[in-house]
Amino acid sequence: MSATVRVRALQGVSVLALLALWEAVVRAGWVDPLFVPAPSAVIRGFGSIAPTALNALGDTLLKTAIAYVLAAALGVTAGIVIGSVRALHDTLHPFVVAVYGMPKILVLPWIVLMLGFGTAPAIAYGTIHGLFPILVLVMGAVRDVDRHLLTVAHSYGARPWQVYLKVILPAIVPSVLASLRLGIVFCLLGVLIVEMFAGVRGMGSVMGGLANGFRAPELFAATGLVSAASIAIVLGLDHLNEKLSHWRG
Amino acid sequence: MTIVAIRAVILVAILALWEIAARVGNPLIYVPPSAALPALGELIRLRSYPDLLEHLVLTAEEILVAYGLAVAGGLGVGFALGLNRVLGRTYGPILAALYAVPSVVWYPSLMLFFGLDAASKIAFGFLLGFFPVTLAVLAGIRQVNPHLVTVARSFGASSLTVFAKVMVPGMLFTLMGGLRTGLALAVIGVIVGEILGSKSGMGSLINHAYGLFRTADYVALVIVTLVLIVATDALASLVEHRARRWTA
Repeated sequence: MSATVRVRALQGVSVLALLALWEAVVRAGWVDPLFVPAPSAVIRGFGSIAPTALNALGDTLLKTAIAYVLAAALGVTAGIVIGSVRALHDTLHPFVVAVYGMPKILVLPWIVLMLGFGTAPAIAYGTIHGLFPILVLVMGAVRDVDRHLLTVAHSYGARPWQVYLKVILPAIVPSVLASLRLGIVFCLLGVLIVEMFAGVRGMGSVMGGLANGFRAPELFAATGLVSAASIAIVLGLDHLNEKLSHWRG
Repeated sequence: MTIVAIRAVILVAILALWEIAARVGNPLIYVPPSAALPALGELIRLRSYPDLLEHLVLTAEEILVAYGLAVAGGLGVGFALGLNRVLGRTYGPILAALYAVPSVVWYPSLMLFFGLDAASKIAFGFLLGFFPVTLAVLAGIRQVNPHLVTVARSFGASSLTVFAKVMVPGMLFTLMGGLRTGLALAVIGVIVGEILGSKSGMGSLINHAYGLFRTADYVALVIVTLVLIVATDALASLVEHRARRWTA
């Protein structure tokens, strides 16, 4: 108990010390505040962009949510289908792994060319970005389901839908949850990349604009805002995950 | 029919379908293979982009430097946090939280700080590669059997011997996985950085071709970049194979 408190205290002190040092270094004039603004300037910067930034963040998160739902639904379904049907797995596996390993950014110009600027390419690219990690993890989990369980289920006369519902699905729940936690970060990443590359709205385009305008304090504030939002989302999912595992027993 | 033959048939079918769809639709946007292949030929013979090699070498250099820094930084921070309980318990969670942030949020700040040249791409590639290496070192250290360390110590092994003979072989499997993920992410970092804004490197050529609607050239450039990426990965897999044989 006390050890945890000590660690928390040490973390708090470290962060505060870092901020204080940073502020001091900037005030002493050792770094150019044009590039590295002091924390106090960043807070003022946050004040001046808060209305725009919060709007843009909402826009980005909405696109991310749509992309995430699409990626999760497609990824989990395709993962279960490809993972459980042997012939499909054997033929498609190399293609899936190849696309999974390919940097998706290379097809981004093409997606923008097809779908134009705005919301559609962001959702499409966010979906693609999140889809493959989920697909690959779920596919692997289905392959790893204990063969004996499947054999026993079959030999006791379980129908295919019973095998899916009673054996495969319960067995892959932990992997599915892990893949969904990973997927949200990938979707957000994809949406932000599109917004930076060809955005007219959203946090990515706001940050790109601030960088091009050399408005470092506002840029740092925006970066902090997106980081905080994404950490909060992941922690929220972790919390939900824990609750669900309690419920599973 | 063997599985390889089926895969080949699928690949050919995809290409054929793509060809038909592109011709029926807009060939300028969908770039049929029959247009992409000649463009690739032109590119390789240095006709469409005479300075292709310089850009390719620059991108490869950026990847190399970014990955080298990521490995050095990741190993340093990983061992510092993994071998010291207080440091590990304090800063490990902060590192894990930062890893949950979509990496691209740091890129505009890096671009502002390091400019549009190679430095910002190297910094971003470093940042992306750094986390998996660090986290793999941390996970690897947890995997080392503490009994082996105790036994080695009680037989009078020095800290250095314990490190080299017990810890590193024991964690090598996990470490290698992290080093490979780190390489893949450093590559992605450099290429994302180049595409989001640069004056030279493969990403800048891709942007140039795309911006001028030279879509066949764009596809050819993407293929060349993919070859660079696959070559890097093949090299890494060779090194990994060697290392695995050494521990086995």
